[in-house]
Amino acid sequence: MINFVINNIPVIAQKGESILQVARREGIYIPTMCYLAKTTPNASCRMCSVEAKGVDGFVLSCNTPPIEGLEVTTDSDALYKERQNIMKLYNVNHPLQCGVCDKSGECELQNKTLEFSVAEQSFAAKEQKRKKKQWGVLSYDPYLCILCEKCTAVCNEVVGAEALYIKPGGYKSAIDNDYAQCIQCGECIAVCPVGAMASSDFKYNSNAWELKKVPSACAHCSSACSLNYEVKHVGVGAHESEKIIYRVTNEHDHDSLCGAGRFGFDFENRVTAKDEKAFSNVLKAFEYAKTIRFSSMITNEEAYILQKLKEKHGYRLINDEARAYQKFIQAYSLACGNSLYSANLDLISKSDYAVTLGCSISSDNPMVRFALAQAVKRNKAYVAMMHPIEDESIRNIVSQHFKHEVGSEEGLLAMLCECFVNVEGKKEHQDFFDSLDGGYISGESSIGEEEFELLAGKKNRKKAPVLILGADLYAHPRAENIAKMAGVLDRYSDFSVLIIPSDTNTLGVSLICELDEEALSPVIAYNAFGDTVLSALGEGDLDMPALNQQEGTFTSIDKKVVPLNAALPYQGYELSDISNKLGVKCVNVIDFTSKLPHEKGYKAIAFDDLPNYYLNSGIQVRGYLLDAKEVKEEISLEEISDIKEFNGTVIYSCNPNMQFNLFTDKAEIIVDKALLKGSKQFAQAAKIKGGENVEFMLDGKLLSRKFQIDNKLKGMIAYNANFDLGQRSSLYRYQQIQLERVQ
Amino acid sequence: MSKVYFSTWNGELINNVGKPEEEWEESAYNLPAQYDSHRESKAFIGWDGVSLFNADVDVIRLAMEYAAQYQEYSEACGRCAPGRWGGRILYDQLDKIARGEGNIADLDHLREIGKSMQLTSKCEIGKTVPNPIIDLMNHFEDEFLDCINNQKPSKHYNESVGYIAKITAPCTDACPAHVDIPAYIEGVRDLKLEDSLKATRQTMPLAHVCGRVCPHPCEDACRRTNLDAPIAIMELKRIGSDYETDHGFGFFHPMKKAKSIGKKVAVIGAGPAGLTTAYYLAADGVEVDVYEELPVLGGEVAVGVPEYRMPIDKYNQDIECVRDMGVNFITNSKINADDMRRFETEYDATMVATGTRISKKIRCDNERPEIEGYWSAIEMLDQINLWEKYGIGKRVDLTGKTLVCVGGGFTSMDVVRCAIRANAKKVYMIYRRDEKTIIGNTTYDEYHEAVEEGVEFLFHSAVDKMIDEGDVLKSLLVDKYELVPDPDGGRPQLLKIEGESYMIETDYLIPAVSQDADLSLLPPEWSIEMTSWATIKTNGKDYMTSRKGIFASGDCEYGPMTIVNAVGQAKRAASVMTRYLQTGEISLSDDEIMEDHLRKLRVYDKKEKVSGWLPGVPRAKSAVLSVDERKYNNKEVNFGFSQEEAISEAERCMRCYYIAMIAT
Repeated sequence: MINFVINNIPVIAQKGESILQVARREGIYIPTMCYLAKTTPNASCRMCSVEAKGVDGFVLSCNTPPIEGLEVTTDSDALYKERQNIMKLYNVNHPLQCGVCDKSGECELQNKTLEFSVAEQSFAAKEQKRKKKQWGVLSYDPYLCILCEKCTAVCNEVVGAEALYIKPGGYKSAIDNDYAQCIQCGECIAVCPVGAMASSDFKYNSNAWELKKVPSACAHCSSACSLNYEVKHVGVGAHESEKIIYRVTNEHDHDSLCGAGRFGFDFENRVTAKDEKAFSNVLKAFEYAKTIRFSSMITNEEAYILQKLKEKHGYRLINDEARAYQKFIQAYSLACGNSLYSANLDLISKSDYAVTLGCSISSDNPMVRFALAQAVKRNKAYVAMMHPIEDESIRNIVSQHFKHEVGSEEGLLAMLCECFVNVEGKKEHQDFFDSLDGGYISGESSIGEEEFELLAGKKNRKKAPVLILGADLYAHPRAENIAKMAGVLDRYSDFSVLIIPSDTNTLGVSLICELDEEALSPVIAYNAFGDTVLSALGEGDLDMPALNQQEGTFTSIDKKVVPLNAALPYQGYELSDISNKLGVKCVNVIDFTSKLPHEKGYKAIAFDDLPNYYLNSGIQVRGYLLDAKEVKEEISLEEISDIKEFNGTVIYSCNPNMQFNLFTDKAEIIVDKALLKGSKQFAQAAKIKGGENVEFMLDGKLLSRKFQIDNKLKGMIAYNANFDLGQRSSLYRYQQIQLERVQ
Repeated sequence: MSKVYFSTWNGELINNVGKPEEEWEESAYNLPAQYDSHRESKAFIGWDGVSLFNADVDVIRLAMEYAAQYQEYSEACGRCAPGRWGGRILYDQLDKIARGEGNIADLDHLREIGKSMQLTSKCEIGKTVPNPIIDLMNHFEDEFLDCINNQKPSKHYNESVGYIAKITAPCTDACPAHVDIPAYIEGVRDLKLEDSLKATRQTMPLAHVCGRVCPHPCEDACRRTNLDAPIAIMELKRIGSDYETDHGFGFFHPMKKAKSIGKKVAVIGAGPAGLTTAYYLAADGVEVDVYEELPVLGGEVAVGVPEYRMPIDKYNQDIECVRDMGVNFITNSKINADDMRRFETEYDATMVATGTRISKKIRCDNERPEIEGYWSAIEMLDQINLWEKYGIGKRVDLTGKTLVCVGGGFTSMDVVRCAIRANAKKVYMIYRRDEKTIIGNTTYDEYHEAVEEGVEFLFHSAVDKMIDEGDVLKSLLVDKYELVPDPDGGRPQLLKIEGESYMIETDYLIPAVSQDADLSLLPPEWSIEMTSWATIKTNGKDYMTSRKGIFASGDCEYGPMTIVNAVGQAKRAASVMTRYLQTGEISLSDDEIMEDHLRKLRVYDKKEKVSGWLPGVPRAKSAVLSVDERKYNNKEVNFGFSQEEAISEAERCMRCYYIAMIAT
């Protein structure tokens, strides 16, 4: 702790804090143009210079840590003059086209030009020829660029894509994009202080000041990131309720979004009137229905309604994907003694040693990828990825890829336990560890014992190890034992464990609903398959509001209950209308927010009392954290079962990085197609060519796909997208298939 | 002393304007009045002022061209608002005046922008570019006003004049390999570790090695010292190479390998100098065969520097990086004079980089190599390292033995610390001078780590006589000395203290005072010129020996010196050799000529007062293994910086880039 003074106010800095960070935390204003709180300082704008007593010249506050007793002044005539001069320089040749610039009204250059009273362009320089660029969702205008380097910093440090970089050349300098590396997340657009890095879609669409921000949670994966839907009424003459989401923004100084979150916003179900006939038909169907099948694209409150309907009317609740996760978490809890897993995204970004097993880092959950990238960049974290498929696109994030045979995950986790479980844990589960046959597992998994030694060696002196488990495991034939081992590792080692919820609100559903294994007909489906379909996609027997049209909460990967607000109106029937008729009463669905099961860690906090804001220091205050409950029972680990061989044509269910489900598919900006993608090697072995159409049976259904050769892929396993298939299947993500070429 | 017409260099004001040439006052600095053997300089302009060598210099154009260089050379820069736009405005306004289109207000703009750049630029390049420009505007105001008032071009505006510029920094200048240090530190700071490593590898292929065991002369020239303490320059170097190695990336070469130029070079010796020559020659498209006497690659750094200080798997990464550039290595191949004669026809040029691998005698009585227990440092370290690192030969076990090393430099530190690890009962280091000097010769950490591990240092001592029984070493007679200050301020003299000599019983005496070069491979009839130190003579600039096509670099040329010195020589030699292979001429590039001029002038000024930075921000220190954890094994002692330490250390760097320019 360092005591010092800013503008005569005594303040305290923590180790590693800069003068600017302390000032911001304490609410003391220092102007900046290039500072981005979530990255290391770029130090390019020089606006944050301050005076320090006894020091000649100015000191840069963004990257200078204070020293004991320092006296800082953040404003003076001399500072004002230099800051004004910097603004004059920023305005050299800057096009005066604010009227047609998207950034107008929220532009840092505009704001600071005003703040420092720069009334005219007092200097000019011979202009360079600069080329405007479009890279998919991003459009770059170098004439507007002030080279603050926020975009390159965020791309490098937060996203880990390392696509954007500075093409140096003094006054000619510009930003360039190594496009093959770009994941189209749009973080660069969010952080750009001027109009240089713009959304290709939003460009020339609306004035920023006409848009109303509706804070909510992203509906596409379990990270449930904080975002604002920005909406506007469509125009004169239209009904009051006719609004459109123009774009998504977020608190970009502190938080991030992926491309799906930022660009996949127009998935609303436009319904302008109540369809009474459809409603009564559906109510009739409920009279006979025995089962409700639903997906995890659902709020906690809706899940609660379904559970209450089950309790009241005896419906079976079917959600295979959430059920697999639920069973996994339950087995895990019994082994580790805690109802919830121990890690969260913040812990991952602060970790210095991470092992991932059973997940595709680059696509399953973008925020896990971002957090790992940050851990690598900022903490020199060692990241071991255990996965059967090599992934060139995250080469800079993964320190070591342990390429294993499909199906051997159980043995691998056992070996991790062997490496890292402490003496007490080994004693507790002595039979299990005695029975462990390292030689057999190494042989069958293709990961040698010396590789495990290397892995264990890399953990020396590491202080914050994490284990990240993903969806490959939940539907694994040996899921239960895998979960138990993960629990044992959590309990008897210094690892924190993250079990990535496979879909948006999988964690919430798994906590709130008692799920059944087999469906009985007739089935009512909510965003799923069934005899009577309630759909937010607008294709069913009764329309339902999409997740950008609803209030409610999600239970996120961070084990937090986070609020959603309705960005767009919805005039049709909602689930609560049905439940009211069926005896589960509420005025609004959010009446149930405070009633979510307390025994599972939910709290009696009303929806309207859920906070949603950021502190000056960047800390997100949003919703609340679930209480983790102690779990008493003990378990015994089972012996590792024999590892089944996967031969022939094997596919892996995995989506392109912007696609998650039918809702992202509906979004206009997200254009990735559902394809079967494989390496050249795969194509040769399967005797197919790129561009050909193929058919195969998957989960009992015939699927038709276009095959594409992806030069970044290696090996004999192809990626099969599943975002277009409706509800996620509970099948193991690797499947042997028979490919048929179709003409 | 330099003859100048006008100079403001380093705060000096020499103004001979209007004086006859024979009355000119001289500058106290080594200014580059003569550019090279056939060109005189007209003017020298840089971060610290401007010097004119004759009265005819067009000062307005000089200022404009200097501002233009800032645009050309701003690869390193253009990354802050004052520098990027301010630099452009300086140039545009000066060009406007020089064209004859300026007005009085332009002068005010120049001063205003110049001041803002001086105060707020990110790096010294932006802060210092206005300095000489403003000097010229102040001292030659008439010429500026003449152009403005009469709207006429400056006097030589339309003539062709050579302007040769070079970007440097105090640390880069002081580094024998001239590594672009601010760039690799910036790479760490920006968390662009690939860029960091590439910046290092532009002139230094041994990033792992010189990120660990370099004596870092750069840190003695770090401007941050003027403020508080120097940047931990060396340790920041390994961040990039550790990143590359830890992630198992392919090698990040800073350049693309050029197409073959159809020439072949033999390099003798695979130590730092040999590896460096080979790397840059191969990058230039030359076919390179490296011959190594030992069964392993790496030279003294491999078999001399112990594992705990320089883990071989890391050094092997550096070596593999060289191989990856397309270098061919031939081990177990001691080259003799016949080979050399053959090479002259088989290859287009030869580089001798054989180092100094014969331990010098300590010059005491009865110093006979045949006495059992007399063991040269080179041979001892060879045996230890070949076993510890490669499993070749047999293990050195000193259990129950006493060992005395005579030395005071890095090699002797390696000897005593290796002896501790070989389980010696007692280890002494005998050194003629004091603790302070030994720290100066090595490093503070090296010395203290040795003390912690149990080495007993006997200062002010020298072995007088070896005492043996039947050619087996039994004890040593050691004399005590005192340091007597030199009344003339020179190095203190050592005087023996009579009556204080004492005996030490010992099993081993390791001479580690210095080494000689084994140059028996040079055919005698070539009569290659030697230095008085019995090393190969070159002019220290192009590294060609007295025989055409035969080059020498590293310790066999300089005498026992540092790794980074060998790298610097070899890098330069590779560049000279490439041109020689293509043209048959020995020449230096403009960049190299400027490099030598600046080295002579010296870029670092230890008296300069630094402003615009907060003093007292502590230098980061990396974690090391505790004594108990490291004493009896070869684990790397220094863990290197954590990322947090590395970033905060990198943020202390003031990016002291400067531009110097000569008009010819």
